[in-house]
Amino acid sequence: MKDLLAKINWFGFAGGVATIIMIVVSMVYPWWQLTVGDNLLTANASPVNTNFRALGSTFSIPFIWALNIVSLLTLLASGVTMIIYSIVPGKSYSKHLLDFGYKKPLFIVLIFVIGLLAATLICKTVLSLSIPLIGSTTSTLSIPFASDVTLTVLLSAGFHWSFLIAVVGAGFCIAARLYHRKVAALPSI
Amino acid sequence: MDKITLILTLITIAIVVVPVVGVTLNYQDNLVGLFITPEINEIVDKFSSGVGGGDGSDGPEVQPIGPPEYDPISRTIKQVIQFENTFPFDITLKSMSGNVQCVEHGFDLGVASLENSISIPVGETKTVTLLITWTEDAISHFGTAHEGEETVEVVLANIGVDISGIQVQLDKNQMGQRMEIPNPAL
Repeated sequence: MKDLLAKINWFGFAGGVATIIMIVVSMVYPWWQLTVGDNLLTANASPVNTNFRALGSTFSIPFIWALNIVSLLTLLASGVTMIIYSIVPGKSYSKHLLDFGYKKPLFIVLIFVIGLLAATLICKTVLSLSIPLIGSTTSTLSIPFASDVTLTVLLSAGFHWSFLIAVVGAGFCIAARLYHRKVAALPSI
Repeated sequence: MDKITLILTLITIAIVVVPVVGVTLNYQDNLVGLFITPEINEIVDKFSSGVGGGDGSDGPEVQPIGPPEYDPISRTIKQVIQFENTFPFDITLKSMSGNVQCVEHGFDLGVASLENSISIPVGETKTVTLLITWTEDAISHFGTAHEGEETVEVVLANIGVDISGIQVQLDKNQMGQRMEIPNPAL
């Protein structure tokens, strides 16, 4: 039993479990949230669930919803393969499972952050609306058909603790790859 | 082991392709709908009609009610005003500010502010109290430029309203209403 436990790639196991937890948590808690005014408009973003709330109604954008499903299934596949790999890291097929699973959480985190940066840049360029990634700022909006009215909107944004779980999960998966050589070198039971 | 690699590759492709193609096929008759949902159009329509007043007027409706009360010790006038929520959502009127000017001379007399914040449901009208504090120069202006006049016509300019975290800055002409205030120098 002791030998069996010694053979487990605990970084991989932790990474797999953290990835599964990340999926569940991200369904409820966004990684990043943008609030306009006093909750007049809220954008809740995570790779597995992105939605918007405005004037009392909550909605999502179909294309983003499809990308959320892609991310969810990718993370799920990654988490499952990481857990299977970590229990039997010395098998001949284990390296394939590891290679399949360990990079995906990191890529999802990177793509999410790059996507947010791109979205804020597009808003600034196209709509002249400065959206902060972290912190608060005010932005002035022009109102069509009401040239005598100027709206200055308080925009607050920030990353939540669920994003931290994702970063930790991705870190464990990378550590599992680095630790793989050590556990794979142990003699088979 | 090539089999495992192949299976994992196929899983990766399926995971990416199936949801994207599925949603695209679902919206093949209306590809714009992939990005712009009916809810977004509805919100844009509501904001357009709400900020514009929906009846051709601009911004929220603000009307003074009754004569103002003056406290000579604090040099402060209390003016009750009606505020109609023409926005398409419930609002909290957190603060209001503006400069009070003499209509006849364009002289800056003081600043106006809101006594308390108030919540106003969509479409409803509520009364709020506006406090106007005269400056020392304003008292002198009332005494010299309006000597003997019982009332002075003033207007609120550069009105700024904080509505649920959104600052609405109205043009001077937005007020539409001038106020007759008792001459504090009398």
